[in-house]
Amino acid sequence: MKTKLLAVVLVLVMVFALTACGDSGSESGNAGSELNIFMWGDYISDETITDFENETGIDVNLSYMNDNADSVNKLTAGAGGEYDLIMTCDAYMESLINGGYLEELDLSKIPNAENINKAYWTEQNQKYCIPYLMNYIYVVYDTERCPIDITCYNDLIRPELKGQLGSIDGARNLFPIALIALGYDPNSTEESEIAEAYEWLKKYNDNVVAYGSTETNIVNGTISVMLTYDGNTAEAMASMGDNNTLTVAPFTEDPVQLGFDLYVIPKGATHMDNAYAFLNYITDPEVMAKNLVENPYSCPNDAAVAAASEEYRNGPAFDFDYKENVFFQEDVGDAIKTYDKYYQKLKVGIGE
Amino acid sequence: MSVVTGRAKKGNRLPMLAQAGPVSLWMIVFVTLPMLFIIFISFMSRGTFGGVEYTPSMESYETMMEITYFHVITKSIGVAAETTIACLLVGYPFAYYIARKPADVASRLITLLMIPFWTNSLMRLNAWMLIFQTNGPVNNFLVNVNLIEKPITFIFTDGLVLLGLITNYLPFAVLPMYSSIEKLEKPVLEASADLGANPRQTLLKVTLPLTIPGIFSAIILTFIPALGTYVITDMLGGGKVLYIGNIIKNQFGTIRNWPLGAALSVLLLAITALMLFLYSRFAKVEDMEVV
Repeated sequence: MKTKLLAVVLVLVMVFALTACGDSGSESGNAGSELNIFMWGDYISDETITDFENETGIDVNLSYMNDNADSVNKLTAGAGGEYDLIMTCDAYMESLINGGYLEELDLSKIPNAENINKAYWTEQNQKYCIPYLMNYIYVVYDTERCPIDITCYNDLIRPELKGQLGSIDGARNLFPIALIALGYDPNSTEESEIAEAYEWLKKYNDNVVAYGSTETNIVNGTISVMLTYDGNTAEAMASMGDNNTLTVAPFTEDPVQLGFDLYVIPKGATHMDNAYAFLNYITDPEVMAKNLVENPYSCPNDAAVAAASEEYRNGPAFDFDYKENVFFQEDVGDAIKTYDKYYQKLKVGIGE
Repeated sequence: MSVVTGRAKKGNRLPMLAQAGPVSLWMIVFVTLPMLFIIFISFMSRGTFGGVEYTPSMESYETMMEITYFHVITKSIGVAAETTIACLLVGYPFAYYIARKPADVASRLITLLMIPFWTNSLMRLNAWMLIFQTNGPVNNFLVNVNLIEKPITFIFTDGLVLLGLITNYLPFAVLPMYSSIEKLEKPVLEASADLGANPRQTLLKVTLPLTIPGIFSAIILTFIPALGTYVITDMLGGGKVLYIGNIIKNQFGTIRNWPLGAALSVLLLAITALMLFLYSRFAKVEDMEVV
């Protein structure tokens, strides 16, 4: 009888031990003093985070995304219980707002948001997001090693560049350049145009050595041309120092993509006040200027750019004269499935 | 069993429940249910934002029938097979060598084999990248001794992916084969020699057949993970060399087609089950030598 009882108790203890694990995980710590952020890795300086923690006594937990889709997945699955701030990009804002996945912002709690240039912050977006950094996606090449001069996207599919090209990845980064090269709207929703862009990208893909890590690959000599972000270019140029042979391709007609990374508060976030405190902190010109040293991306915060170092403002990565000739990634609605279908075909890439 | 009274039966069951209950519960909650869920969503359709819409559809399986996926799957099976064969060819003599050493030397050799695994596998992959990159030591050496004129692009090629796979899975091939060979009774080998067999005949007719379970475990332990891997192929292949693991990972990430990802996972499960079935024809699953 005793052993029977013991067995039952043992089973129950073990079962409850399991549930207890789950509980303690979500409720541990003082609920008032933490802030859970989901964003790109290597995209905010550790110092900025520690300074914020010291100043406010709030514990920041950072988790990192690998792809813009990750944050959209989190938001649409209802991330409020898990995260208080999520980074996403302008292209998804319309769907996210319409889907009711975001908390409306109370801008009176973020007075520093005044510093953000309204040209980069549409009226609709002002209610739901705070732009963090922005990046141009352009072409950069090594003047010494690249076999040709590049002035338009069509140059990227020339056979001379086989084994020379590095590229960032993602359907909505690659298809727009193909659509522009073919003379279409970069946010086309026409399947026939997307299909043509796919054919163009197959040639592009033939030239590509690797997707991702473009800045590392161009510095160590694996590639000589890259389609990449301005911030990554700044890092690559900085690491080459005085021997920098990289230059931003002098595009004459083709527009380049300008994208924004923004912070949004997911519906039902548990630490709203902490999220507001962080948003106000990060939009402070001095704080942002300091953060730009390690993250030399273009910044929509005018006051912060004015306060930033000479080195940042005159960096060679931002030295190109078509800054106004840009296009934005727009929400393409259901056509995203068409993009994904062709992107998948492109990535599988063998045997048609 | 039928004669046992209800009381005694109950009394027999509780201790069993106490012992097997927790682990069964664990397996059901964390292995069986997720697996069933994967099978379930493979029959659903994808939502616009990725995620899953719960309307039944065979679309994923129809997509999977496209010729491109067939190519990816055969290519993945091919590279997993190459990895396995290379691991066996390198691993068997190595395991044999270790097993013939005195116990203390053998344990030291096994430790040496395991040492690389004390570092994170990403570190090891990064090391390969550094060694083989365009201005890395291998290229510098080859250029300096005038073997080549211009650096060769080793990284982001199928060859380096294969090398990464082999080095990563070699220990998983050596260990089961070692434990199998180590269990071989010396008198058996002596008897073989006494009966006039030369070393080659002993190897082919005695040692190899007796260590088949170890070899088969080695095959399973290298082939299955090599088939599903995506980190190695992602890093060393530069996101351009895609195998089935990468395709599945992309479905849950960039491409956001969870049902298709699930359907491809089901396919991997089926291949794994087939391998285990084949194994069960050669040897008992419970004899599988996993050290």
